[in-house]
Amino acid sequence: MEQCACVERELDKVLQKFLTYGQHCERSLEELLHYVGQLRAELASAETGSPYAVQDGVELLGSSDPPVSASQSAGIMIRCTWPDLHFDHLVKMVAAKVFHSLQGTPLSATLSLVMSQCCRKIKDTVQKLASDHKDIHSSVSRVGKAIDRNFDSEICGVVSDAVWDAREQQQQILQMAIVEHLYQQGMLSVAEELCQESTLNVDLDFKQPFLELNRILEALHEQDLGPALEWAVSHRQRLLELNSSLEFKLHRLHFIRLLAGGPAKQLEALSYARHFQPFARLHQREIQVMMGSLVYLRLGLEKSPYCHLLDSSHWAEICETFTRDACSLLGLSVESPLSVSFASGCVALPVLMNIKAVIEQRQCTGVWNHKDELPIEIELGMKCWYHSVFACPILRQQTSDSNPPIKLICGHVISRDALNKLINGGKLKCPYCPMEQNPADGKRIIF
Amino acid sequence: MAVQESAAQLSMTLKVQEYPTLKVPYETLNKRFRAAQKNIDRETSHVTMVVAELEKTLSGCPAVDSVVSLLDGVVEKLSVLKRKAVESIQAEDESAKLCKRRIEHLKEHSSDQPAAASVWKRKRMDRMMVEHLLRCGYYNTAVKLARQSGIEDLVNIEMFLTAKEVEESLERRETATCLAWCHDNKSRLRKMKTCKKALQPSRREPAGRGAPGHGHAGLPARHAHLPVQAPESGVRLHRLPWFFLLLTLCILSDLLDPARWRMLIQQFRYDNYRLHQLGNNSVFTLTLQAGLSAIKTPQCYKEDGSSKSPDCPVCSRSLNKLAQPLPMAHCANSRLVCKISGDVMNENNPPMMLPNGYVYGYNSLLSIRQDDKVVCPRTKEVFHFSQAEKVYIM
Repeated sequence: MEQCACVERELDKVLQKFLTYGQHCERSLEELLHYVGQLRAELASAETGSPYAVQDGVELLGSSDPPVSASQSAGIMIRCTWPDLHFDHLVKMVAAKVFHSLQGTPLSATLSLVMSQCCRKIKDTVQKLASDHKDIHSSVSRVGKAIDRNFDSEICGVVSDAVWDAREQQQQILQMAIVEHLYQQGMLSVAEELCQESTLNVDLDFKQPFLELNRILEALHEQDLGPALEWAVSHRQRLLELNSSLEFKLHRLHFIRLLAGGPAKQLEALSYARHFQPFARLHQREIQVMMGSLVYLRLGLEKSPYCHLLDSSHWAEICETFTRDACSLLGLSVESPLSVSFASGCVALPVLMNIKAVIEQRQCTGVWNHKDELPIEIELGMKCWYHSVFACPILRQQTSDSNPPIKLICGHVISRDALNKLINGGKLKCPYCPMEQNPADGKRIIF
Repeated sequence: MAVQESAAQLSMTLKVQEYPTLKVPYETLNKRFRAAQKNIDRETSHVTMVVAELEKTLSGCPAVDSVVSLLDGVVEKLSVLKRKAVESIQAEDESAKLCKRRIEHLKEHSSDQPAAASVWKRKRMDRMMVEHLLRCGYYNTAVKLARQSGIEDLVNIEMFLTAKEVEESLERRETATCLAWCHDNKSRLRKMKTCKKALQPSRREPAGRGAPGHGHAGLPARHAHLPVQAPESGVRLHRLPWFFLLLTLCILSDLLDPARWRMLIQQFRYDNYRLHQLGNNSVFTLTLQAGLSAIKTPQCYKEDGSSKSPDCPVCSRSLNKLAQPLPMAHCANSRLVCKISGDVMNENNPPMMLPNGYVYGYNSLLSIRQDDKVVCPRTKEVFHFSQAEKVYIM
């Protein structure tokens, strides 16, 4: 969490800087353009010889009648946004002097001065813009450094060489595993696309149940209970073996939907209630609740104590129940094997990297030379205990076919190697209880 | 979810897995920043040049009309500067905002609501899968998956699509796109010291086969590495004595060898990864390997297949083959699971040994007991319930 916060802080600074720089850049360039535009307009009007006067300069003009356009452009000059007061005076002087300039005549000295000041201003502004932008670079590179500091740029593999790269077949198998996962997740179009791109052939037998499941689920998402009911009825026997109440729940949902239709649907609802008969024994209470709600049909179910029946979460629940039961019937777990493996990898990866770093730091690389086993235990939680593992309490090693667990007469279990080590003069003393026994009496057990 | 991941564990995993998620858009940001700086510098120098010219004119005795025309030029250059500056800043801002969006997504891993956390985990797997599919070259699938999962912003699709274009052009024995890519990234490639790589495409050009012919215009110096210059193929060769001709043919055939092209594509791919600071293997592959190892036990690979568990991922068909070369999980402590029910065997469900040596949980034996007899599910032998002995596991 801290890592993200660190990078985010730097990013926010950069974003802020971009914002202010962008605004500043646009504004100052706008101003510059505006000002230069004004200057140019003024020069152009001077060029065409049209006289104009400024308030102070009218006296200078003598008796000529200044045309409207001239006073307008003079007015604009006065209203020039350049905040330099001294400059304003200059402008007024210029406006007066310009009146005297005729087409083709050289630029007057004051106007020249104005122009060179303008040039300097332009140069300063644009150069400042360029250097301001350069200043943002340090903030940008700080973001990169924050990322480098807080996240690991290299993941070491569990095995040192690219064990899946070398064999083309392994890649194909991996693609197959991904396809199976996509089917199980219900992403059928993506799975099809992958099959096409990787030229894999998936058996129709494999695909079929998923296609059917997906079809039913899609119908359920659109609140169509028909396909699901069909499926439940056809698999009724096996669902009962699983103690699943799917069929009842489907009927119930249909009944509730009829109820929501109001008093007009009363007869239909009543006749539908006959479907509950086979479930009377198991779901008596729930059937009573639903029958009771009929009383409020005219009033409207929403205002009755039975309004909870109309809860939309029932629909989400039915999808889940269906998925769970269907997967059990198909012999699949709800989570695809790939998901479980990936999730366990997410837990294992940082642990393994830590231990590798520690090993390298302490320079005891001998610890992980036993390539057949990971160097450290990964805690995945009890739900991931799929197989029995017996670790001999004496040798702290997993038992195997060559070194199986042996039950002693007293009931304690140790590995065969440990047993052999404990033999003393043909007799064996159990390490946990002081019972002496014959080594041959130990019985091999199988978990 | 089968695997329990606490918030602290998620945080640790984030540190290990998400470097590419953030670094790639950062590199784009960096690149756009440099481009913006270059644009601004260039336009600024244009403006400065025009203004200097104006100043020079002013220092003499200029006519108004010449000043006006110069001013026009200044206005024009300023407008161009404004436009370019605004465009460049917009591009930089966009990149920075993309980085921000990704960081915000990553922060959601620590959400309090379990539903949000599981959605995040599902998206994480989809993100890694998309990257893996892109690396394998299955671009359409990757794009489709990204779209369906709503993670298009969070995966580096553009980077791979750009690389795809280069690779496809190399497959067609055209070097123009690749050379353009080298030029585009030349500063960073130079830092990586891969000048050797940049040389190779140009060596293809003189072969004159399938090359568009104009890609190498700016790199004459590198041609010197060839023993025989053959720019306008036919002409020089005529003047060579016959043994030089043979030599040329040998060299040319070596250059035209498809294996060399494949090697080039491979080298481009790896250099592209290094440029963006990605490893050669996808995060998905490495995570999967670690995960399979953490679950793998010897029982998944018993020859008679008797100890396969239907829930165990490593026992499933495809993953079983994949996990074969990987190391096994390390278990320092025993954990026992009843073969009948899949429940844990501990003091609440003590392990009981039948006379044939097979061990089951007490509760399971109770459930399969009929008339005080039990049938061992694995050997089908029938025993008395009382014959089951308790075993003690330390």
